[in-house]
Amino acid sequence: MLSHILKLIWKKKKSNFLMMLEIFVSFLILFAVWSLSVYTYRNYANPTGLSVDRVWTVYLNFNTENDTLRQQYRELVSRHLKSVPEVEHYSFTSSNMPFGFSSSNGEFSYEGKAVLSEVMFVGDDYPAVMGMSFGPGRWFQPNDTIGGIVPIVITQCLATALFGNEEPVGKIIKEEESTKKVVGVAPYFRHKSSYQSVGNCAFQPLSKWDTDLLLKVSASATADFEARLARSIEQLGKDWTVEVQHMDDMRDTQDNTIEIPILILFVICAFLVFNVGLGMFGVLFQNISRRKGEIGLRRAIGATERQIQFYFIGETVVIAGFGLVLGVFFAVQLPLLRVFDVAAGVYLWGIALALVSVLLISVLCAFYPSMQAARIYPAEALHEE
Amino acid sequence: MLSLQNIEKIYRTDTIETLALQNINLEVAKGEFLSIMGPSGCGKSTLLNIMGLLDAPTGGAVSFENEALTGFSDKKLSQFRNQKIGFIFQSYHLINDLPVLDNVELPLLYRNVSGSERRRLAQEALEKVGLSNRMKHYPSQLSGGQKQRVAIARAIVGRPHLILADEPTGNLDSAMGNEIMEILEQLNRDDQTTIVMVTHDENMAKRTHRLVRLFDGSLVSSNSFYNA
Repeated sequence: MLSHILKLIWKKKKSNFLMMLEIFVSFLILFAVWSLSVYTYRNYANPTGLSVDRVWTVYLNFNTENDTLRQQYRELVSRHLKSVPEVEHYSFTSSNMPFGFSSSNGEFSYEGKAVLSEVMFVGDDYPAVMGMSFGPGRWFQPNDTIGGIVPIVITQCLATALFGNEEPVGKIIKEEESTKKVVGVAPYFRHKSSYQSVGNCAFQPLSKWDTDLLLKVSASATADFEARLARSIEQLGKDWTVEVQHMDDMRDTQDNTIEIPILILFVICAFLVFNVGLGMFGVLFQNISRRKGEIGLRRAIGATERQIQFYFIGETVVIAGFGLVLGVFFAVQLPLLRVFDVAAGVYLWGIALALVSVLLISVLCAFYPSMQAARIYPAEALHEE
Repeated sequence: MLSLQNIEKIYRTDTIETLALQNINLEVAKGEFLSIMGPSGCGKSTLLNIMGLLDAPTGGAVSFENEALTGFSDKKLSQFRNQKIGFIFQSYHLINDLPVLDNVELPLLYRNVSGSERRRLAQEALEKVGLSNRMKHYPSQLSGGQKQRVAIARAIVGRPHLILADEPTGNLDSAMGNEIMEILEQLNRDDQTTIVMVTHDENMAKRTHRLVRLFDGSLVSSNSFYNA
């Protein structure tokens, strides 16, 4: 039966070409959308390596450019926070805190290998604030800075990029002119959004100009407490301003910047696929009404209703198959050529899901017209011809 | 072989009821060549459709080789048509996008027959109708008579017990019509294939064993033997 269908399709190749083209384009669009979805989901499914629950970001403006004064003010705020029972942990941080809009990169080098990474300057209690977990090693301590060598904690991703399979803890690396010693490794730290891929990040002790603050507050901390806390910090100095943001809100804002374009893409894709489906539906209906005589003949010579229905669905699937073969040929070039530095598995899933989607759409579009074809009364169909 | 008892066919719409056939009693013997004649709209094709299980009668019973065909499922009826009945139509009903050989193979697609066996049987059928040199041609490359011969080959490829021919010479000139008639006669004579043929042509009808006449949905004469 397949060779019979292929012969008929080949003979009608001109009229089937448009449908194959539609299928081909639909496949490519669906492949792009599915690949993006798989990529995004895979990132989402990875551990974040941090917890934003009850973490507040406090933007402090000490109203001074004097670094010595800023350090003194930082101490003042620290002492104040220690007296506030609702604050479980706190840490000062550079402005590129998780889910913020700032970024700060440094280039780390080790044995001629240079790797770019986000660099965060944070306090000793930062892991407790962010609920971080550790792989090998530990978090840095105040007395780790010896002889100008700065202790740093790096993510596993950065450790692998720099050292491969070697043990990272204790390695000395360079960042421009300064020397750093790796004291610990965090397996994950996805700080840009819930959909960020596992990336490079390094943590090192605070510098003198880092004045933003992260708080881990207790479950009893209310909005009223938030207002009181902000006021109490502002009152510690002259003309200080304090702005508090909840880190889960910051994360949601960042997530939205990823989710909304994907959602728009999905809607556009759904619209396109719907149109392709309608087109196929129309073409099949027209096809069937043109082939009533053939349907009548097939019924007369022994085809059952079900065989007629499957025949037309089969014909549609084979036509779709041609478009899909062409589509898959182009799609597999992406993992083969390692385009966009995305894992091959993402593209393979994208291809598989797009294949299933297109075949499903084809079968759905063919189902009703084929059912109508199967219900054609053979005596009438033969008479019409 | 084929028995019609008290066949009645009524076409109903919301507003109108048309009596197409009434009180038809007809027996077709094995190996018989029967022709049916009558004016247009008298129910000849309807009767042929009922004989070919393409249409169900409103009343009465059809039996084929002593088997009553009432209450059969679509699958069973299709199987029956595929294995026991061959159809020849006035307008040939060939699939123009398939070569002659594939057109002839068509009924065997709905049986469990291997590709090579299908090919062999189709070639044999085409040889029988004298078209073995046109196997790779498409219907559009054939004359009317050749198309009808292909249709006959398709009707006989499955070795049916009964051939139903609906005005097989209706679209052909007398010479070609004669050729087709000769093939049908040969099939009836040599293979003992039972043939029921609807025709408007008195001369063609005279060449069959028996002629029955229909008028306004009723049999008005039967058992009139011309060539017994």
